[in-house]
Amino acid sequence: MRDAAEPRTDAGDTLSICSLRVGAALFGIDTSQIREVLGTACPQRVPLAPEYIAGVLPYRGEVLTTVCFRALLGLECWAGGNCVLVFDDEENEERFGLMVDGVGGVIAVHRDALEANPGGLDARSQELFDGAYKLPSGLMVRLDPQRLRPSRLAESGLFGGVSGSHGRVKQERQGEQG
Amino acid sequence: MWAAKASGQQHVTLPAFGVGLKVVRQGSDKGEVEDLTKEFLAESQEGLERMELCLTELEKRPDDDELVAEIFRAVHTIKGTTGFLGLGRVERLAHAGESLLGALRDHKLAVSTELISGLLELLDGLRRILQTIEETGTDGQRASDNDSELIARLEELKAGGVAANGAPASQDQAPFDKFGAGPSTGPGQVAVRPPQSSVQDAEQPALPVVASSVPVAAASSAQDKTLRIDVDVLNRMMNLVGELVLTRNQILRSTPGAKNFPELARRLDSVTAELRENVMQARMQPVGYLFRKFPRLVRDLAATCGRQVRIEFEGQDTGLDKSLIEAVRDPLTHAVRNAVDHGIEPAQERVEAGKPAEGVVRMRAYHQSGSVVLEVTDDGAGISTERVLLKAMERGLVTPEHAGSMTQREALQLIFVSGFSTAKQVTSISGRGMGMDVVRTNVEKVGGSVELESQPGSGTTVRMRVPLTLAIIPALVLESGGQNFALPQNSLVELVYVPHHEAGQSVERMGTTDLYRLREGLLPLVWLDRLLALEQGAHDETHDFYIAVVESEGCRFGLVVDDLKAPEEIVVKPLSSQLREIGVFSGATVLGNGTLALILDVAAIGARAGVRPATEEIHVVGADRAQADTAQRELAQIEMQSAMVIYETGSRVSANENEAGRMAMPLSAVERIETVPLREIEYAGGRAVLQYRGELIPLEDDGNVLHALAEAETNLSPGDAAKDGRTATVLICLRPEAHGVRRVGMVVRRVLDVSAGRLLAADAAASGDQLAMVKDRVTTVHRGFAQMAGPQTAILKEVA
Repeated sequence: MRDAAEPRTDAGDTLSICSLRVGAALFGIDTSQIREVLGTACPQRVPLAPEYIAGVLPYRGEVLTTVCFRALLGLECWAGGNCVLVFDDEENEERFGLMVDGVGGVIAVHRDALEANPGGLDARSQELFDGAYKLPSGLMVRLDPQRLRPSRLAESGLFGGVSGSHGRVKQERQGEQG
Repeated sequence: MWAAKASGQQHVTLPAFGVGLKVVRQGSDKGEVEDLTKEFLAESQEGLERMELCLTELEKRPDDDELVAEIFRAVHTIKGTTGFLGLGRVERLAHAGESLLGALRDHKLAVSTELISGLLELLDGLRRILQTIEETGTDGQRASDNDSELIARLEELKAGGVAANGAPASQDQAPFDKFGAGPSTGPGQVAVRPPQSSVQDAEQPALPVVASSVPVAAASSAQDKTLRIDVDVLNRMMNLVGELVLTRNQILRSTPGAKNFPELARRLDSVTAELRENVMQARMQPVGYLFRKFPRLVRDLAATCGRQVRIEFEGQDTGLDKSLIEAVRDPLTHAVRNAVDHGIEPAQERVEAGKPAEGVVRMRAYHQSGSVVLEVTDDGAGISTERVLLKAMERGLVTPEHAGSMTQREALQLIFVSGFSTAKQVTSISGRGMGMDVVRTNVEKVGGSVELESQPGSGTTVRMRVPLTLAIIPALVLESGGQNFALPQNSLVELVYVPHHEAGQSVERMGTTDLYRLREGLLPLVWLDRLLALEQGAHDETHDFYIAVVESEGCRFGLVVDDLKAPEEIVVKPLSSQLREIGVFSGATVLGNGTLALILDVAAIGARAGVRPATEEIHVVGADRAQADTAQRELAQIEMQSAMVIYETGSRVSANENEAGRMAMPLSAVERIETVPLREIEYAGGRAVLQYRGELIPLEDDGNVLHALAEAETNLSPGDAAKDGRTATVLICLRPEAHGVRRVGMVVRRVLDVSAGRLLAADAAASGDQLAMVKDRVTTVHRGFAQMAGPQTAILKEVA
């Protein structure tokens, strides 16, 4: 994946990485993997969907399922604006969105600055992150969009599945109360 | 219609295509030759498909010269094209077939089962080679790919037939020798059998035919990705796109404040609508296209299973989106296989049961409120519920206690459980324990549903309902828990408003189910916000709510929502697979205000909330399956069709109180109830008309409501704010006429209620007016509409 995404524009060993902010942390995604940056968007919530699904957005005549990166990291929802990036889901030939707090600039990073995921990560982080770039200012965690595909997140089972059965139980319980 | 067009085209275009090819080959560009091969494959497969259909037809109508000519053309075209492409193998085989067909065309041969079987083998042979070409790019000149046996068989058939007819055989043999189709290609392999042996040889057509059914299913992959579009449709689309670009240019130059802006916006609207319609039309294909392969399939299956089966079609013109045609192809095949193999009994059993020896498999397609219904019906033995339950217990799918309490409908549903098969014997065609579950999975994948109906002794119906995924469907936008949802109108029966002062006492409980007394019946309620775990609105005694009475797959329940928004025509967009898994949404749509709304899947909501279908079983003893079918359908309609819209006609100022009385109209005749601003009602030749959805419909105003309203208006002072806000209530009705129905608008003072009603027998004293008993009061049914409720009343009496 990483090799395939080698940018044609960069002459040598540098990659252009788009930096993203989520909470206090800095993340980076290879620009060649980003289809589009939508800017602030307000996805329509989908009831009974897993927590990490922020909702759906209209996108070029399609309905774009959007993943909330904050929820994946286990952070509280944030009211201070957001930004949605659009990626291709290569396996299902669909597109999906990723909601982050904000998009920074494009940074040229040397290939050697990438360090693989260290061993001590918890299972969730291991699943989400794709190594980190050691920048002078600090670490920038690399993300691989294909790891953030909604279908893959569901398969991993680490982030809670479809909350359908949960909803049903709730309905019954409420029924008893009422 | 399509087939005819395609065949006409093919005949004209292919020779031209051949000539073009010669030119291209001089340039010898490999890519272009590949393109041409691809085109050839698609065209040939189409030709073969037509040939297949014609062959099975020919068996029924052996004297039809047109059919022979059509088959001849198909083979001839293939032969001609392959010559240019250097595909010698196909050419040789096609040539052998062509000369056999030539003899048939010249009446030197008579149509016989052996001949048809032989020709079908030729067809499969050609298909196999085409498949090889598609896979490998060549026609496979390897030693294993040898058609000499088949060619010899074709020759035999021809020689045998010609000899029997006493025609000079040697003369016809000449082209064969020249091409050296048989002996020279496979020297030593072909024993040219004497013509006499051909009769014995042809007596066992079953084996080769069965062997050939595999490539049938695998074929036509090249063709699936292409679509034939009428050039006219394409031209129209191009014109519209041109128009769209022009309008865009003008809009870009204009400003929202400009004088012509509203006009531009309107034009954009109409161009978009027209373009949309055109594209949809281009994507629609008649299901007849899909049905084409079934006569052959049924013929082969019947031969293998030793049954006598006839296949019938209905509604071939029903349009279905291209993508859906592909999606239902396999499920339909499964259903037809099951019908022939498990459904239809052997001839003897049938005769003993008092049925004609020949079984019938009927394939029907029709549109039903926004979805396409595909039915496969057989008049066979039906499915024995006992055997299903027995088998299910055997397989451990249900416990004996559970089985005992199951309704017939529930028991039949077990057939859809994976790994279930009731066939006594596992045959090579079906009964591998997969089938109905695959059918269901595939149909559900495209958002459809499958139902099964069966009457032991009289047959089985598999009914698949597929939505028009890309279609634009009418829906009602409603709100629950602060979120908008779209409810497809096709599942909506009626809407009930529960005002806040009634909210408390109107909902009653039975166990854990909330119920609402809707007229005489109890309606189970499903609270949408609770079901979807949304933030709940306050459903206490101070809050009003709406009940959308919905019906799906035999379940009727009330969906409780906070508010109703506008009805809208929505474009259905599929959801990603993750969100489809949730199960209660069938898609999403972008509303007029730009926001997204999820489309509710009523059947799934019912299932999730645990609403059971009302079990209505009809026992028809010894009746024909079709009859039972109709009876059931009609019984189901009674409730719907005899529902009446009650309204007040005539004006308030009328002196005669009776004239301003209640009137009723069968609900089935009423399309919509519209509130129309008075200024939108126009007059043409003294008659009131209304522009309604691009159509001009006449308004009927028996009670002079419009006049009264207009008078009331003139009484207002000119500057009165209420003047513009004057509205009239119009029932948009479908009036039955000699040639179908016509849309008319009925101006009424106000709509009172919708209620179940019953037509009374016409009475002379009532001056010819049809009367109905609605809500225990005699009410006049609007003239000319009584028959919309008519046929059902007869049944109602019978049932009573």
